Amino acid sequence: MRDVAVIGAGSTVFGKFPERAVFELGAEAARAALKDAGISPKDIQFAYYANLYGGMVEGQAALRDAGITDIEITNVENACTGGATAVRRAWYDITSGLYDIGIAVGTESMTTSPIAGKLITPAKGDLSGELGMNTMAKFALSQRRYMETTGVTLEQIATVSVKNHHNGCTNPYSQYKKEFSVEDIINSRLICDPITQLQGCATTDGAAAVVLASLDIAKRYTVRPVIIAASVIRSGDYAFRQKDITFSDMTYKASKDAYTMAGVGPEDIRLCELHDAFAVNELQHYVELGFCERGEEVKLLMDGVTSLGGRLPVNPSGGLLSKGHPLSATGVAQIAEIVWQLRGQAGDNQVPHARVGLAHTMGGEVADLEAGAVGIHILKV
Amino acid sequence: MPKVLLQKGLFEEADGEPALIGSKCGSCGQVLFPAKPVCLNCMSTDVEPIRLNRDGKLYTYTTVYMASEHFPPPYTVGWIEISEDIRIFSQIRGWQEQPLKIGMDMRMYIETLWQDDDREVIGFVFRPVTGEAQR
Repeated sequence: MRDVAVIGAGSTVFGKFPERAVFELGAEAARAALKDAGISPKDIQFAYYANLYGGMVEGQAALRDAGITDIEITNVENACTGGATAVRRAWYDITSGLYDIGIAVGTESMTTSPIAGKLITPAKGDLSGELGMNTMAKFALSQRRYMETTGVTLEQIATVSVKNHHNGCTNPYSQYKKEFSVEDIINSRLICDPITQLQGCATTDGAAAVVLASLDIAKRYTVRPVIIAASVIRSGDYAFRQKDITFSDMTYKASKDAYTMAGVGPEDIRLCELHDAFAVNELQHYVELGFCERGEEVKLLMDGVTSLGGRLPVNPSGGLLSKGHPLSATGVAQIAEIVWQLRGQAGDNQVPHARVGLAHTMGGEVADLEAGAVGIHILKV
Repeated sequence: MPKVLLQKGLFEEADGEPALIGSKCGSCGQVLFPAKPVCLNCMSTDVEPIRLNRDGKLYTYTTVYMASEHFPPPYTVGWIEISEDIRIFSQIRGWQEQPLKIGMDMRMYIETLWQDDDREVIGFVFRPVTGEAQR
């Protein structure tokens, strides 16, 4: 096993682009990542391409328009963790010595998907889906229980949205770029009680890409390679083993593995991009990722620890709440954001002196499992 | 209108008493719903069907204000904890008449879940236990 570094990161702006094909978004992100790496598409030896709602061999179509052909291309689907899974596989192919340089791309066009304008439901025939389950209902169920058992208020949960929307205002890749107050969040349209529209992320169109290389080769391209210190993907365990639906066991277990792999602890993390599909998730993930003890998560938020300027900024990019959530792109986009941060290229959203960052994404609703998959990456310079 | 079951083997009605059908492992005791031919906890094939307790407690719930494939908004779903120590995801009916509260008593009924153009789909729902329902 050898060290693997990110040498290029690129992204499209996130938003609603119904006139653009999925592969166009993927191609734009891939070209941006190649340009950022200063590498020719001819030097890319393999690719992983994550997409859920597009058609067959989307990756080949996207990479064709980035100058990448005649290599091994694998198309990946793992719901909201698809992008992180593509990065994980690319990391593995290099750390194992199979290849030296590759690209991982994540794309989604929700506005052209079959579920445009609808809630995200499980696969056809899933019993919970037949009974009316969807991703937002799942977390509304968790949030109701969480508020009841912890006393955390809707105002406190909405504060996560306020923070992340604030961060997103200065991120050129963000969909919203707009400030919202606690009242705006709470009084927005009620969708799955108690979750209102602005407590949830928008489903979005966009793509992101990262170019990975073995560390020795990375040094030829950059003086500041960002090393992938941990890369973990984990599927959900049986729901009957989950004692409390307000605590994601899979996030907790994957983070333990990631900290061990990276040789760091939660106290070493200086910025985090986590899966804030719904505002409540961010508070819950603080605990599962080990940033605080259970019951301390609201204090972490309200004291500004996780705001830009705090000790551990969480979602300094604006997160899914402000950037939007193109499902399979999100995991790659989070890693791109962390790469820019660790290089000191995050502009107005820069976290000063950050050397270790963590990316967390999860999703995929399946009856009788906690969720489909979770992905955690720890990056360092 | 012909009636069809949501899924085979999810529930039965014996002596007028409806029950969800789970499976219970003879090796580790794990109860599953829906029933499985093997125990998902220990993979033993020593599993027996079990009639689950019709009564449970509301673990959590949400009212959904966007349409799903089968249900027009608003509809309510929740998790109900039953005595076999498992949680069951279900449509909840009767929530307009009886405000829901976590921990309240719930009871299972076999009812029409939805109607398509040419058929009625029969499944299970939970309703809050009120004075009347305890008759």
